[in-house]
Amino acid sequence: MFDQILQFLLTGITVGSTYALVGLGFAIIYNASDVVNFSQGEFVMIGAMSAVALSAGDSGLPLWLAAIGAVMITMLVGMALQRFAIAPARGASVVTTIIITIGASIFLRGVALVVWGKDLFPLPHFSGEDPISIGNATLLPQSIWVMGGAAALVFGAHYFFNHTTLGKAILACSCNKKAASLVGINVGIMLLVAYAMSAALGAMAGILVTPITFTSYDTGVMLGLKGFSAAILGGMGNPMGAVAGGLLLGLIESLSAGLISSGYKDAIGFIVLLLVLFFRPSGLFGKASVERV
Amino acid sequence: MALLDVKDLTISFGGVTAIADLHFEVPESQVYAVIGPNGAGKTTLFNMLSGIYRPNEGSIRFLDKEIVGCQPHQVAQMGISRTFQNLQMFFNMSVLDNVKVGCHLRTRSHLWSAALRLPNILREERQAEAWARETLIFCGLEKYIEMPADSLPYGVLKRVEIARALASQPKLLLMDEPAAGLNDTETVEMRGLIRRISESGVSVLLVEHNMGLVMQVSDRILVIDYGSRLAEGLPEEIQNNPKVIEAYLGGEVQYAV
Amino acid sequence: MKRLGGLSLFALAVALLPFIFPDNYYVTVVAVSAGLHAILAISLNLLMGYAGQISLGHAAFFGIGAYTSAVLTTRYGWNPWPSILVGLAFTGTLAYIVARPILKLKGHYLAMATLGLGIIVHIFIVQMGWLTGGPDGMGGIPTLSVFGWTIDSDERWYVAIGVLLVLVIWLALNIIDSRSGRALRALHGSEVAAEMMGINTAATKTGVFVLAALIASVAGSVFAHQQAFVSPDSFSFFFSIELVTMVVLGGMASTYGAVLGAIILTFLPELLVIFEDYEVMIFGGILMGMMIFLPQGLFIGLKDLLHKLVHKRSNKAKQAASQKENNHGVA
Repeated sequence: MFDQILQFLLTGITVGSTYALVGLGFAIIYNASDVVNFSQGEFVMIGAMSAVALSAGDSGLPLWLAAIGAVMITMLVGMALQRFAIAPARGASVVTTIIITIGASIFLRGVALVVWGKDLFPLPHFSGEDPISIGNATLLPQSIWVMGGAAALVFGAHYFFNHTTLGKAILACSCNKKAASLVGINVGIMLLVAYAMSAALGAMAGILVTPITFTSYDTGVMLGLKGFSAAILGGMGNPMGAVAGGLLLGLIESLSAGLISSGYKDAIGFIVLLLVLFFRPSGLFGKASVERV
Repeated sequence: MALLDVKDLTISFGGVTAIADLHFEVPESQVYAVIGPNGAGKTTLFNMLSGIYRPNEGSIRFLDKEIVGCQPHQVAQMGISRTFQNLQMFFNMSVLDNVKVGCHLRTRSHLWSAALRLPNILREERQAEAWARETLIFCGLEKYIEMPADSLPYGVLKRVEIARALASQPKLLLMDEPAAGLNDTETVEMRGLIRRISESGVSVLLVEHNMGLVMQVSDRILVIDYGSRLAEGLPEEIQNNPKVIEAYLGGEVQYAV
Repeated sequence: MKRLGGLSLFALAVALLPFIFPDNYYVTVVAVSAGLHAILAISLNLLMGYAGQISLGHAAFFGIGAYTSAVLTTRYGWNPWPSILVGLAFTGTLAYIVARPILKLKGHYLAMATLGLGIIVHIFIVQMGWLTGGPDGMGGIPTLSVFGWTIDSDERWYVAIGVLLVLVIWLALNIIDSRSGRALRALHGSEVAAEMMGINTAATKTGVFVLAALIASVAGSVFAHQQAFVSPDSFSFFFSIELVTMVVLGGMASTYGAVLGAIILTFLPELLVIFEDYEVMIFGGILMGMMIFLPQGLFIGLKDLLHKLVHKRSNKAKQAASQKENNHGVA
């Protein structure tokens, strides 16, 4: 029983690491531009699919180079999204921006469908497929890559926002656009940087996890939803909250799949999320808002 | 018996006390003003009187019934209505519909009977419209009745908000800075409106920064500073109270309109 | 009576359509689903457009209505009418129970919670295979008959759903233009001011949430009987999103806008089928483009656009005229 639970925990953290990265991407875009980007999951898909495409065949690039190329392609998509879909709709209502990003998500999925078709694609494992035993539980080397990669990216993002001028400038834009531009910050460029970063995080999550889960043109949808759940669970606008929310969601799903029913695992994840919101309407680590009259 | 009886009222936010041990009584059929420097806690007081905030301690009795613990709509039901410092207009509706919302408590129909448009709905609609028009005319807004709220200037909206509050036929009207942002002509109109409201039998509790207006319309004045009661009395008593003059920037009180 | 003028015009158009285009696939098949979508969009619009409470899970109530009817009529041999009533009771109860805690949430949290609700219901439909037939769905659902008039052809379904749609529009217009409708709009405009006018905002939100769910449930039951087959795909997260899009695309807080949005979003994929693999991409592009350039929705957006064009022209005319005058002056 204990071994089983250990196994579920390991799986949960692996899955949760992916959710955490997507959730972090959500939080970054939300912080920078007050937009909930429903096409966040498509970044994951585009990153993974581009890496597959770049590394495929005899003349394909080595995996590490393909990964870099895929991340850059996704960053370009992220910036294009900001520039051509979000920026022109400045000042639109919450619901309108939600629909725009959903439109963008459908559009990107459509492009992927045209370019790559409906097949399921794998990526090679980064360092072999021989499972590592931990007690009676096993762990794929790729899982360690996912967890380690996610941890590194999360710490990187944390450092970026708290200790670099560029990171602080982006945060300043999110607090007060007018004040930020008054102290000489180019708000437009900061927004592009934020979307590019968010896209890069999504792409890297996709590349890390695809050797285990495979990818296809429509993998982004569910991951996007999970990332949104992670961000909400942690408290919208709190990047580290989103990371914690992602890990928690991964653990809940893995445990309920193992102990209760794999068919209901997503439902249980959402039920827990709803219960959390009923008792903490601003998420686990979000600040409660006081209505000013 | 006083209309409104406030005792030992205290509220704090995250350890900072906004109102401390405040007590006062508002007599019936009067204009009662609450003044004090910025940040003294006047709007916080209003939010407690209208049920939006719940005080940590103390009691608020209106017509001998306790308000503390009531939801705002229950407070409204008891006969208190209010306006807001920063407009809380229904910008998605016309002026007439805004004021018809004010008639909510005077009408009874439900979602389900409204859906079927039963005959009593038609009667009620006509009645609400008549009341709303009457109130708008009382507030001097007949020109704007059919206009959408989001097309009107600030000064007009201030009065629409008052009309909306009056349409519920309150016994006590809380007015949060009715003259803020108004020009001189509009301020004079506002003064007249406050007097007419008071003469029509509605008691007024007024928070206002324009001292000239306060001195001209108020029957009694309460001064608060740092959330505590500083002085209370007739306008002339307040004007000559050294503590009050001290609180207002070392004595710089402006009485000009 | 102005209200009923628009409605009679609309009813007339619905009545005439099959005579103008007899035996047309788009009228007898696509228009029927457009009608059902319009009913759903109207109900969602009451909640979203008027009361300002976003819901990304409206398909759940549509699905519960549909499956209640499907299960009771096929597995237990019930008559369709009591099945519809049971569906209503079931949907109403569920909506009532979840309404209060969910509608306490605001903005993105409300979006997430309703989205979660929709997904949970969808998963239960898929997983409870012993009752619902699971992912494969269930068929053999009998058709409806009204006082002996059996709805057994596409044309009859057109009539039935046309009548139902006009009825729902009438109900919606009645509600909006009443004390309760003003309460809805008021809590959208300013919740705190609405409370101060004596509106119990929590109860009002619950009321409109339940009402919207009930309308969706009826639409679901009718859908099940009309299709004779239901499967979970029709009630997924995507369909909830599609409904929200109909409302926003047509223009929030406009009943006819919701109808317009539903019609466009039902016909658009039908027309895009010719693009085959490119369909998804083009659909997404159109959706994005329309929301970027007409964020107020088509109904208001097109009106504004027209207004601007006319205005520009008259301004230009004025400028030209004044320039002429100046020239005369100089000469």
